[in-house]
Amino acid sequence: MLKTVRNVAAIPQLTRQYTAKAKRSVLLQDTKKIKDYEPKLSKKAGHRVYVWGFQETGALGLQTDVKKAKERYTEMVHHPTRLQFSDNTDISDVATGYGFTAYAVQRSDGETLFGCGLNTDSQLGFQVKGNPKDPANLDVIIYPTAIRLPRENGETDDDMQVLSMSAGRAHLVVVTRNGTVFTLGNNSYGQCGRSIIDEERYSGSALVHRISQADICGEDDEIVSVECGQDHTMFLTKLGRVYTCGWGADGQTGQGNYHTAGKITRIAGDIEKERIVHLACASDCVLALNEGGDVFGWGNSEYGQLDDSENAQTQINTPRALTLTKGIGKIKSVAAGGSFCMALNTEGLVYTWGYGILGFGPFVEQTSKPQHLLPPLFGRNDFSNATTVVSIGCGVFHMGAVNSDGDLFMWGKNRFGHLGLGHKKDQFFPFKTAINGKAIKVSYGVDHTVALCRPYI
Amino acid sequence: MSLTKVYDAATVLKHLNGIINVYKPAGMKVHQVRTAILANICKGLNEMNVREPRKLPEEMRLLGTGTAADTVLHKISSDTDLSDHVLAAGPRYIPQDCRIAPVASLGVHTSGVCLFGLNAGLRQSSRIQRNRPIRIYHVTGRMGIATESHLPGSHITVRAKHGHVSADRISALASSMQASHQRKMYELCGVDLQTQAAYELACKGPLRPTNNSQPVIYSLKLIHFERPNFTLEVHAINESEDYLAALVHDMALELRTVAHCAQLRCIRHAHFDVTDSLLRHGWHLPGIIKNLRQQREILKSHPQLLNQQRVDLYANQNTA
Repeated sequence: MLKTVRNVAAIPQLTRQYTAKAKRSVLLQDTKKIKDYEPKLSKKAGHRVYVWGFQETGALGLQTDVKKAKERYTEMVHHPTRLQFSDNTDISDVATGYGFTAYAVQRSDGETLFGCGLNTDSQLGFQVKGNPKDPANLDVIIYPTAIRLPRENGETDDDMQVLSMSAGRAHLVVVTRNGTVFTLGNNSYGQCGRSIIDEERYSGSALVHRISQADICGEDDEIVSVECGQDHTMFLTKLGRVYTCGWGADGQTGQGNYHTAGKITRIAGDIEKERIVHLACASDCVLALNEGGDVFGWGNSEYGQLDDSENAQTQINTPRALTLTKGIGKIKSVAAGGSFCMALNTEGLVYTWGYGILGFGPFVEQTSKPQHLLPPLFGRNDFSNATTVVSIGCGVFHMGAVNSDGDLFMWGKNRFGHLGLGHKKDQFFPFKTAINGKAIKVSYGVDHTVALCRPYI
Repeated sequence: MSLTKVYDAATVLKHLNGIINVYKPAGMKVHQVRTAILANICKGLNEMNVREPRKLPEEMRLLGTGTAADTVLHKISSDTDLSDHVLAAGPRYIPQDCRIAPVASLGVHTSGVCLFGLNAGLRQSSRIQRNRPIRIYHVTGRMGIATESHLPGSHITVRAKHGHVSADRISALASSMQASHQRKMYELCGVDLQTQAAYELACKGPLRPTNNSQPVIYSLKLIHFERPNFTLEVHAINESEDYLAALVHDMALELRTVAHCAQLRCIRHAHFDVTDSLLRHGWHLPGIIKNLRQQREILKSHPQLLNQQRVDLYANQNTA
């Protein structure tokens, strides 16, 4: 062991320690010259809107330049993108139709409703440009523009605030705070709640139909929400009654027949004595939920969404209590897409059934029994074990769920990038969408998605 | 087996194998910790019964000077090889006699659990390293001041107000960042999202990354808030000090203020907890041996620490 003896750290060093040059320069820093950072803070309780999906229709409202909107590679927005319009306008509600979007806003100038996207059937009102004597009609609106709701004498801005709104294939229905219903757009099946006029021209039409809620449900009741399917409209009242109008070829109006109806009628069936609290519909299959957490359905049942028994009818024209959803606990929320349905129970479990991408991986395409998706898919794990799903929703081809942390998870077809995952590939199980905020309300369109969020600060 | 007291340094060195859990102080490099521990081990060994000097062969005895009057030389036993004596050859144990390597490196500003593999334990340490277990940090950010390196002890770049930041705002942001990172791990674990395998993995929960190139954060929680300081509990893999400091900085920008990372403490590395960690005053041979024994127990009760094939990750107390 004739190795040299090394000095080791155990022997205290007696040499003087000098300040390193780097440290000296930190100590000598002139603190007076340090700049102050004064960031712009977002307004209190201001909401933020994120949009993504198919942009060519203008439904996202992100473009401000018509020339730029026509450039290549702008037809889709793959990532959730903050809507500039939401920065200077307080948006309180959103509704998505087939290629257009409506925003309920609160503004000092008295406008309460904005919209962007396709306007081929005047579903966003009468929008023209150029000389008022010879106006050019706008079929596509690329940036949110005000939709004027006609006022009767004495109606204030506050009366015109949007209580509920919903959009279908080419029509928009708005219920204002004073209980007036406004319908805009295509009425070829009576979905606007007025009688059908043969060969009516909808493009460039300035017609906004106005219905008083007393005409629909009488004096002692009031409309609390509206839900549109593809070409039909349903109104829900405070007493839990459902009124419908529009296209009924699959029984989606629930009026006991397959006719189109321009007259708004109360529907009965199994829901006659029930107090309905929630309606859900994206195209032609309707789900309704009562106070006690039971599910009712009517409309298209081609994929066994409403009835899985043998020789079951594929079209149900009268509201019916569903036997499918018995045994999955008390239901908190429901959603119905094009070929599938989903339900959320009070334990926070999401059940899906029907046909399509149901969230059970690429191999499961069809299931007629509701099955629940495992909680880890919605962010519950060992690190956050109290996370549950709080709300669900779906478009025609895709589904989504928001958990208690405000994170949005989406899955389904992704042909138009409307899952916001950054690509066009289908997603076979719930996957988190990157939004910089807590999702409060998500509106699922047919090819685009709009999320109303609360910022972190 | 009865306990016997060991006085022999060689026996002790032979059994110095395994993992030790050392509490690294902030402001000290891992290399310095390593040197200090090595030095202390050698010091401890040299204070024990070490090997006597070699005996000279029969035919090569020292020649006596012959006079009994020479009191110094008279006492030297003629059969001892004086060139092998401690005073001539130096201490019996020097740092090179002991191999020691850290499982994962902590930055200068980080304090807390730092694992070292000792001698034969080097194999275990590299296995733990390859398994990429989770590390848990307590990261304290200080709002109002941004520094150049996002860590203390560098130039201040910007100052800002932070009166609008509240605890629930920070936790809200933290939970969203956590979800985004958990999403990112699918990209890092190397499975195609469109496959059944991806679905099955997703149903199980968090996944481990396939390589150690990208940091992944599994959990981000606000555990303490006292203006201007806030403390986050971070569960992460592949992180580095700079990454965590940048994370604090980015969070502050998101919160419309600025901050730098004032304190970093690793409180857990896999199952090795900060409570079992060897503090600086315990960095002596008996302490190290006691610590070795404790860590051996932990390894025995969690064999998957050394051998883990699964890509999914369980972060609860029983498995990691």
